[in-house]
Amino acid sequence: MSYYSLPQIQTDAQKVPCTTLLPLPHLGHLSGNPSQTLENNTSLSLPLWLAEMLLIAPAPNTPAAITMDLPPPLQHRVVNALKANPVTLDLRAQAPHFYALGARMLELFEDEDLVEVLLETFRTRAVEIADRASGGVGGRAAGDEGGFLLGLEEEEKRLWEASREGSASVGKWLGSERVEDL
Amino acid sequence: MALPLPPGLTPAETGFLCETELVTVIPRQRLESLELLGGPTQPLNPPFPTPLPLWLALLLKKQRRANIQPPAWLTLSSLRTILDFETDDRTAAVFSPPPALPQPTTIPDPDLPYLSPGTVELSTPFLKDTHTTSAQEGALPYHWLELASLLLASAADDFPDADAIRILIRDLREVRMSKLRKGFKVLEGGAGLKINGVGGLEVAEVRGFVGGVVDGLRRLGRAREEMRREREEEGGDTGGVADEDGSEDEMGL
Repeated sequence: MSYYSLPQIQTDAQKVPCTTLLPLPHLGHLSGNPSQTLENNTSLSLPLWLAEMLLIAPAPNTPAAITMDLPPPLQHRVVNALKANPVTLDLRAQAPHFYALGARMLELFEDEDLVEVLLETFRTRAVEIADRASGGVGGRAAGDEGGFLLGLEEEEKRLWEASREGSASVGKWLGSERVEDL
Repeated sequence: MALPLPPGLTPAETGFLCETELVTVIPRQRLESLELLGGPTQPLNPPFPTPLPLWLALLLKKQRRANIQPPAWLTLSSLRTILDFETDDRTAAVFSPPPALPQPTTIPDPDLPYLSPGTVELSTPFLKDTHTTSAQEGALPYHWLELASLLLASAADDFPDADAIRILIRDLREVRMSKLRKGFKVLEGGAGLKINGVGGLEVAEVRGFVGGVVDGLRRLGRAREEMRREREEEGGDTGGVADEDGSEDEMGL
């Protein structure tokens, strides 16, 4: 993946819950006990890029330093909520780079169910974004207007902007030939 | 610094490309044949109708040296037929058919490599001849929206019923855009969406959005694709090491 891509850097900076498998000397400050050894089986919250490195065993007979769980935005509670109604969930509050985080997690874990749910969520919300960008009203609750747009995560915001820009450029071009002076 | 422009044509660029299409002009003054980059134009002898590129026709129209004859598909009856077709419930999933393409000039040869000059067949946006004005009645050519709006803006007096045509064009545009949006529901990371008959400006409008959606779906589905590929390879050769990614983009040259 791109080294300089800002969304990529921000995705990798998101935290994931980990559990240590080995006692780690001199790292006690990570769990609040400075200048002591970090004990086995401590739960920590590490950024994704670090957790990914530590997850890999350094040598065939040496165990890995940590084990990783799915981060809270991708756990059962959220997944079930997405299955029920993908549109009303505030994805931004879960994680600003929700889908990118999901893609990275799927690289490390194999979870068919999660793939399906994420794909379906993305598709449904994308259709919703398209509807709103084109100015369709279509029976949305009046009070919900701001809510959905504020809850868009990064990738969806880009889709929203692309969609608005498309309509705007077409409108601009169609309107501009009225006053064009060759 | 990275180029900030989006990939693909913007609507303004598509509109500009439309101006290379040929239209029929009814001259009011004589004009000699001009040597253009695309070839020489025919000399203008009033009152004989002559084909000219749209940009030249619009220029002459502005200078009041010529009138532009609307193409056959841009008449009231033709547009009404197309609108009836589009709004018919039975055709809710398809667009109105595009005009007939000219005969293919090359024969497909499976032994020649991809994109070799002997097998490349030009298609709609790049077809030299118009396809836009010689389109028969009842078919919307690729640049229909751009051509219609340019002609209605500059040459409205050449239409017998410009206002009615404006309303029909607007209705057509709304119906087709809503059909296009319905197609978004079935976008896939790897599959295609059949939108035969869509126009240039319509594609330009949704290009950014659809590109983003398909890209996102592709990234999310990537893990699944790799799992599937590993399973296939394990089934194919016993205990073979999985290949590196990146073979999706290679063409078999």
